[in-house]
Amino acid sequence: MSEPSTTQNVATDKAPAVSVRGLRMGYGSRVLLEDASFDVERGEIMVILGGSGCGKSSLMKNMIGLYQPMAGDILIDGQSIVQARGEDKAALQRKMGVMYQSGAMFGSLNVLENVRFPLDQFTDLGLDAKNLTARMLLEQVEMAYAEALMPGELSGGMLKRAGIARAMAFGADILMLDEPSAGLDPITAANLDRTILSLRQNLGFTFVVVTHELQSIFAVADRAIMLDPVSRSIIARGKPAELRDHATDARVRQFFNRQPDAAVEKAEA
Amino acid sequence: MSAEGDAAGANAVSFTLEGRITAGTAAPIWKTATETLARNPNRPIVVDASRLEYVDDVGIALLFDLIRRDRPPNAKVEIRDLAPNLAALIGAYDPKKFVPPAPERAHIGIIEQVGRATDQQIAYAQRMLGFLGSCTRALGLAFTRRGVLRWGEVLEVATEAGANAVPIVLLIGFLMGVIIAFEIGLVAQQFGAVIFVVNGVGVAMLRELGPLMTAIVFAGRTGAAFAAQIGTQKVNEEVNALNTFGLDPVHFLVLPRLVAATLVLPLLSVFADVVGLFGGALVMVGFDIGFVQFYYQLLDAVTINDFLIGLAKAAVFGLALAAVGCERGLSTGAGATSVGLSATSAVVTGIVLIVVIDGIFTVLTS
Repeated sequence: MSEPSTTQNVATDKAPAVSVRGLRMGYGSRVLLEDASFDVERGEIMVILGGSGCGKSSLMKNMIGLYQPMAGDILIDGQSIVQARGEDKAALQRKMGVMYQSGAMFGSLNVLENVRFPLDQFTDLGLDAKNLTARMLLEQVEMAYAEALMPGELSGGMLKRAGIARAMAFGADILMLDEPSAGLDPITAANLDRTILSLRQNLGFTFVVVTHELQSIFAVADRAIMLDPVSRSIIARGKPAELRDHATDARVRQFFNRQPDAAVEKAEA
Repeated sequence: MSAEGDAAGANAVSFTLEGRITAGTAAPIWKTATETLARNPNRPIVVDASRLEYVDDVGIALLFDLIRRDRPPNAKVEIRDLAPNLAALIGAYDPKKFVPPAPERAHIGIIEQVGRATDQQIAYAQRMLGFLGSCTRALGLAFTRRGVLRWGEVLEVATEAGANAVPIVLLIGFLMGVIIAFEIGLVAQQFGAVIFVVNGVGVAMLRELGPLMTAIVFAGRTGAAFAAQIGTQKVNEEVNALNTFGLDPVHFLVLPRLVAATLVLPLLSVFADVVGLFGGALVMVGFDIGFVQFYYQLLDAVTINDFLIGLAKAAVFGLALAAVGCERGLSTGAGATSVGLSATSAVVTGIVLIVVIDGIFTVLTS
């Protein structure tokens, strides 16, 4: 009998899970972000934050290859998703599980079928195995009771939770979550934070979470970057608690301390 | 997964899980493992997990599937040397929660099916009657009280449903005239009665085919659009927003469409009549009936009543199609699929309805 395993169950690749290099992105002639560079290390929970309309979700959509950046590069496991085409790009995209803001459930499938969908498409697993996997994922996000419901019958929070379960379904070890806890009740949001931490600890998942929910940021984030729509740049990066207490930029302190504009203007005066 | 063998002690069967078990690699491992369990229902199973390198959520599900199975006390499955974090993860699931649900009642008797279908139809008829009552009240108010009907929106709907539909209506109308004249002409030629083809084309176009074909085009183009527009507004909770402002969705969303459709369909029908007759006249040239001869024969063959009956039919068709489209839209459930179903249902119900109305008209006016 061999010795007990000491594996921490993390992938062994040395390259960062996601690496953004000199990114310039926007829509048409409107630039949202210029010369942005940052890495998301394997097994890390990175939070992208910033006020509404600063380009958080757009940055995530660039990272998953849905939008083409104006300049710069984005590497997934060391391979450029910007340069990749066809099946190469699809293979890189399959390394990432994505939860969209609205949940993006397929309306013609029930919750269980939605979560099972990537397994149906890409594996040879038997139906029982796929159903069990999907049910376990739903159990993780406390949605097992709703497996037979159609997306049209779900609330916004339920859609998000089902979306997270589907994002995890194909064994993607990089999960991108767009506003996962917005609209959830505090207990469900806290449970979701716990699920994220558990998945990182036990399955070694890497998370990129777009959010502006302060409690979730402090609960889960190893590091955060903050986008600013005025300077169109990353104005802060680091651990959330350090940013809250020691950031030199007033806008960062204002965000973390949840202050209205007037209070900051008065403090600066 | 390595081959099974006898484990040390007792009569246990053992096998080893090794390497990476992920969504992409798990299928054959899972199949072999479950077959091993099935082949040895009364022997304990020992799974050696010491050489596992990585598992994803599918691998976790596989490990959980092995230990959750209902087996005799002396034939349990034991996973040895599993990393503590994975053991904790699997231990967090309660096997009782994953018992397959009892199968639903498989067979529903024919009487129950008929009963359910009847119940649904009665409910639908009640909804439709309620909706028609609301529409009638709204139309009554629109023509008796100023400001109820928003003529700007009526014009907008009429432009989209009417003016933009003219090319397709002209094409369909022209082709119908050509086809009818040609088909009847070939038969009439054998009896030397070619001149009476003009009578057939005239009556058919003015009383039947002009309004009917225009209505079918209208059902596919505009009835479906009404259902999809209002259905999307329902899904987006715009209809709820109107209700909470104290505004009646029937006044706000349905009334302009009803009025626009009722006014526009007769006009489209006139276009179809004219080009249909022109198409018929064009074909008759090939049967040695000139345009002038066609014109005078047409004046003898049809009366102003044929034309007016066609117009009245078209107006009723427009009203019915708009009502069905709007009702289907307001009955939309939740989600994008429901919007699609509403649009489809609006077209099918609309076409059935106009054929029924056409039949009633024929009986009443013959």
